[in-house]
Amino acid sequence: MRLPHSSPLTDEVLEDCLQALYRLEGQGRPATAGEVAVFARITPAIASQALDNLQTRGLVQNGQPGCPSLTGDGRRQAAGILRRHRLSERLFADILGLPWDRVHDEAMRFEHALTPEAEARLATLLNNPETCPHGGPIPDLDGRLVPPASRPLDQVVAGTRVWVRQIVEEETTFLRYLASLGLLPGAELWVEEVAPFGGPLLVQVGDARYALGREVAAKILVREERSAPARQRIRSRRRGRHGAGPEDPVKGD
Amino acid sequence: MPTSCHGALRELRAEVQFSLALAGNPNVGKSSIFNRLTGMGVATANYPGKTVEVQLAETRFGDRTIGIIDLPGTYALGGISEDQWVARQALLDGRPDVVILVLDATNLARNLYLGLQILDLGVPMVVALNIVDQAKARGIQVHTERLAEILGSPVVPTVATRGLGLDRLMARAVESASRPAPLPPRLRYSVDVETAIAKLEGALASRADLPYDLSPRAVALLLLEGDPEVGAWLAGAEGADDLVRLRDEMVGVLRDLRGEDAGLLLARERHGLAGLIAAEVERREPRRSLVADRLWRLTTAPLTGLPLLGLVLAGIFGFLFYVGDWLSTGLSAVWTAVASPVIRWPFHALFGDGLLSRTLLWGFDAGINAMLAVGIPYVLTFYVLLALLEDTGYLNAVAFLTDQVMHKMGLHGRAVIPLVAGAGCSVPAIMGTRVLGSMRERVIASTLVVLTPCSARTAVILGAVSLTAGWKPALAIYAITFTLALLTGIGMHRLMPGRGTGLVMEMFPFRRPGALAILKKTWYRFRDFTVVATPIVLGGSIILGGLYETGLLWKLAVPLRPIMEGWLGIPAVAGLTLIVAILRKELALQLLITLAMVQYGPQASSLLSFMRPDQIVVYALVNTIYVPCVATIAILGRELGWRRAALISTFTVVLALLVGGAARGVLALFHA
Repeated sequence: MRLPHSSPLTDEVLEDCLQALYRLEGQGRPATAGEVAVFARITPAIASQALDNLQTRGLVQNGQPGCPSLTGDGRRQAAGILRRHRLSERLFADILGLPWDRVHDEAMRFEHALTPEAEARLATLLNNPETCPHGGPIPDLDGRLVPPASRPLDQVVAGTRVWVRQIVEEETTFLRYLASLGLLPGAELWVEEVAPFGGPLLVQVGDARYALGREVAAKILVREERSAPARQRIRSRRRGRHGAGPEDPVKGD
Repeated sequence: MPTSCHGALRELRAEVQFSLALAGNPNVGKSSIFNRLTGMGVATANYPGKTVEVQLAETRFGDRTIGIIDLPGTYALGGISEDQWVARQALLDGRPDVVILVLDATNLARNLYLGLQILDLGVPMVVALNIVDQAKARGIQVHTERLAEILGSPVVPTVATRGLGLDRLMARAVESASRPAPLPPRLRYSVDVETAIAKLEGALASRADLPYDLSPRAVALLLLEGDPEVGAWLAGAEGADDLVRLRDEMVGVLRDLRGEDAGLLLARERHGLAGLIAAEVERREPRRSLVADRLWRLTTAPLTGLPLLGLVLAGIFGFLFYVGDWLSTGLSAVWTAVASPVIRWPFHALFGDGLLSRTLLWGFDAGINAMLAVGIPYVLTFYVLLALLEDTGYLNAVAFLTDQVMHKMGLHGRAVIPLVAGAGCSVPAIMGTRVLGSMRERVIASTLVVLTPCSARTAVILGAVSLTAGWKPALAIYAITFTLALLTGIGMHRLMPGRGTGLVMEMFPFRRPGALAILKKTWYRFRDFTVVATPIVLGGSIILGGLYETGLLWKLAVPLRPIMEGWLGIPAVAGLTLIVAILRKELALQLLITLAMVQYGPQASSLLSFMRPDQIVVYALVNTIYVPCVATIAILGRELGWRRAALISTFTVVLALLVGGAARGVLALFHA
């Protein structure tokens, strides 16, 4: 991907556009030039140019008019970029100790400079993490996105530390009530007690302890933290202003 | 009695020079502060259709009269639950000069969420950093100056249960109120949210009709959050079409940018901000968990929780039995010896010894005596225990342990709180079912409350059965009633449409209860009980006296004969007392002895002279199960509607007759 310097379509811009398409497809949202522009922080006009350029390279196809999608090649390349992005985020958060809400921006710059060898060393240094600091999954070397296993909170055994991924509930009032208690996606829970014979759970969120009935717990999908270094746990409590947002796909990570 | 909130708040503002509101999460010592600051002259007020109450009181500080509005303890302000709605509404209607935010120093991050909402509304705030002693014991130190700087509000460390720091708190509150409003602190959300706020704020700035005189920023935030009331204001406001469009656009932009509903996004950012502030101002020494905390966990641990619960229940029962009985006997004796002759004298002097005089004395002598014999000894004692269970936080452990059983009845653990209260008196217990979310849950819980033996029925079980037939049958009556309640609950859950809601409840660490708080809480509850019960006891006694003195009572006995003698196998005179006991349940026994003495002569002062122990058991069983007293029916009607009240009452009568007849049959087998 070498281009004349006069063009605004640098490698960085093209890679950002690929990453944007990949993330948008992952969310099942239409990948318009406008959406891509918001993520890559470029004008929609440049985004259209970039998408055309990527199409001529065979990385993007125009399925429906105005709705570009990634080709097989494009998806593989994009997964590699996302992998470097999220590994970089881990580096900034875990090793360099940058605040939670700043690592995304730093990684947006840093990801482009990583060679495959540096990437491999970084992954080893970080102990092959499965997720970025916000909880987003890191694609493996073959570009496969392994979503972290999530399961309902009522199936978790006592003494486990988990992270809320999603709350499956149609009623907003209930969602907001849980939110006012600090039980929202991204929150870290410590399952302290599980009452026997289908009784309620006792969970800790920050300094508060809550009793949750089984039927409530069944609506809270969580992810168990397997390779969480102690440092990260501490930092997760001091999350930035953007709050506890791992499932914050386009802007936040 | 509760009065209307709007009116009460307006009155308070007119009367005092300066008013403040107390806000805070549940169980952070807010009521301790309120109790310390105020005397006994506390009024409660509620909004029409809402059951969560606001407490109002006046107090003096220095040379000023100060009005205090005690908001319900909530985690947030808003429209999502009744307590949150009432807290916000009273704050907006009451327009206090300053809000005292009570923070739990051991759980700053979660507690600060409410503080950020108050600051967002633009109300001046003074922070009471409470429970600093426990925070210290847990190795948590809070940098109060830094916290004050960040929040732009004075921060005073307090230990409310011991009254520490409250004078300084009041001084700061008065100071803040008399100063011009300080600049709002520079607390900002993320760029996306702030951009949306700024756009709406700009559009709102030119309007002069903002609800509750809120600042444009406050209204902008409420609009983004989807606050129903401010939304309704916008929908009705004149020339606000552009504003509506802008609001919808901003909500849409936030959803696109952050993939989340704006209300949830704001909640997330507030939590994030609260967490940041907490991390900035507190220093934690790694410390082993406190012995008290670890012991307290035993109350919810699977192996120790249930045995402890059994011990606590046995303790409550034993305490009620011994202390209640002792008080009951003592007070009755004092009344008979001292007050009764004094009261009888004017009636005799005015009306002679005729029908009227004797009828009135049923009420004013025997009726008040009964209040003293049941109301104070059992209800008051029970309320002291209930306040103790609540204030230590143990009641929440009970809710945790019983959640699963309650779940089988379509309820959740918190329903256990009114059920426990039902062992005192059904009336406040049915009012207490308001803590439950849906009408379905309230109907089930109220039915179970009705089936729970209250102190009046306990008095009959203890007085009639355990004295004549021994403690085993008395215990059996409890076991039968408990089983019936359980089966009724399961049945109702199966038959009624709809589903239960789940348990979400904070578990508090052990708190040493303050004597003052316990006494005040007991007093307010007892006062409410007395207000409801006294007219009914007096009126009921006088009606009963009239029926008895005119001899009409005996005529009522005739149609009852087949049911009482034929089906239940108890003397008709006993059946008669069961019917009139609807006026006052505990009276059943007393009346039985009185009537029996008329019918059988003086030797009938002992129940055993005219009833066998098995008949007494059936009698007490039916008395326990069938319709509660008129006061309970009245409160059922008021809380759940008259149709449901009638259904519940009829159900208990049928159940009592079925169980009574069955018990007679079973006991006859033993007898034979």
